[in-house]
Amino acid sequence: MRRKKVCFVGYGATEYSRKSEASALWYYAESIRQALRQTGLHKNDIRGFSITTQASPDYSPHVAEQLGLEVDWVLNGDYGGAGGVMSVRRAADAIEAGHVDVVVLVGGNSFDKSVSNQRPLEYQRANYVDVYGYGGPNSLMALIQRLHMEQYGTTLEQIGKIAVSQRENALNNPQALFREPMSLQDYLNSRMISDPIRLFDCVMPCSGAECVILASEEKTKKITDKPVYLVTDAEISHYQVANMLPDKTTFGMKVVGDRIFSEVKHEDIDLFEIYDDYPIAVMIQIEDLGYCKKGEGGKFVAAHDLTYKGDFPVNTGGGELSVGQAGLAGGFLHIVEALRQLRGEAEGHQVTKAERALVTGIGWLNYGHNLGTTAALVMERRK
Amino acid sequence: MAEQAQPKKSLPKINSIDQAYWRGAVAGKLLLQKCTTCGKLQFFPRVVCVDCFSGELDWVEAKGSGKIHSFTWVRVPRNPAFREEAPICYVNLILDEGVIMESRVVGKGVENIKLGDRVKVIFQETHNPEIKLPVFELAN
Repeated sequence: MRRKKVCFVGYGATEYSRKSEASALWYYAESIRQALRQTGLHKNDIRGFSITTQASPDYSPHVAEQLGLEVDWVLNGDYGGAGGVMSVRRAADAIEAGHVDVVVLVGGNSFDKSVSNQRPLEYQRANYVDVYGYGGPNSLMALIQRLHMEQYGTTLEQIGKIAVSQRENALNNPQALFREPMSLQDYLNSRMISDPIRLFDCVMPCSGAECVILASEEKTKKITDKPVYLVTDAEISHYQVANMLPDKTTFGMKVVGDRIFSEVKHEDIDLFEIYDDYPIAVMIQIEDLGYCKKGEGGKFVAAHDLTYKGDFPVNTGGGELSVGQAGLAGGFLHIVEALRQLRGEAEGHQVTKAERALVTGIGWLNYGHNLGTTAALVMERRK
Repeated sequence: MAEQAQPKKSLPKINSIDQAYWRGAVAGKLLLQKCTTCGKLQFFPRVVCVDCFSGELDWVEAKGSGKIHSFTWVRVPRNPAFREEAPICYVNLILDEGVIMESRVVGKGVENIKLGDRVKVIFQETHNPEIKLPVFELAN
């Protein structure tokens, strides 16, 4: 979707901590305070709000997945008694904006007790995964990484380079939990968690929060002289869901990439904030986005410098792998780092030419398949 | 002092959607859903066919054989009750009917498992006599 008049006008970020006893609400508030300070806006200027956190039950995408719907638009329409009307409003916005042309709106409930006392719409995780003693997402991503290695000859050295480069990016990022240098040998020697996933393939859970503020172009001119425009964005949920023989090493990011790059050119992107719950997920997204052919992600990362000083800067502040994963913060870390770069505020890890950034997000792993939801956006600095 | 509760291995919380599947497992049958409208086979059990959206789904018995699509050695099972069995060989397998499943491979030779290995289902007893778990063994 090509955008013309939507801008990011500022951001806020808290410290990341593994020891803090502050409440989640404190973290939300602190990130907002930072953004208000940066933009000079007053609390009362905020006319819209969204929260992404672990407490969210992801209800609507799980319904979609359960029903086998591969969709371009999904929404938690949970506005109490106004849910129906609000859902219609949101759907009308989306249709008008061109995201989607057929939307089904559903309301209802069930008193089926056998379902209601478990996480109701992900019962397959409890009944067909947990029962075998699996090791959480580490195990599910391990299945994907092994396939990529065996099908395409991808090496641990190539995968590890992503983690090592991101660590280098984190060395001068005060927000990062990990600021000690890490070598490829450190990566290779790290403890095995779920073969071939190692400790340094995994993110560190922690406390923390980010926020971004979006405004109309007209409003933006009154707030900041550093406008960052939303250029284009796309999403898909449950790519391949109806395929009982899915290609596990291709994410929905392939579809998202096709849509994004129908609007902008690959070579116009200066830096990449690619959702990095695991290095192999970064590599697969680089392929899916079309920067190299499927299966050649290993060779691609070997041939490029992925640091903020390099020719293909990825996760320039260290990404979740080195900064930390604040709950299920939903990838706000990546959006804020892109904004820092485009505004020239990434002290100590600034990319020299930072005019256009690509940011991606990927969400959870579906049974037998791969990512549930994948999405991406391009943002651009304009004078 | 109160007796310390031991962690128990996870068991399925059987519901109206997958009751037939688990009844099949106790009887030594691996069941898949088959759409009576379009003929599509699917797993895990759902309320609709993921291809044609029909709600007319039947159960058919799979041969119980397939091949390893991918595998991992779980060193740190999420549920501590599984820890003494670690590393656990957690797999994706493709049933001969052309449906992907997640499961576990146990038994002889599992330490040498590789992609493409043939496997066959067995039904493992659990601490609940009314529930058996379909797991797989190497076929040779």
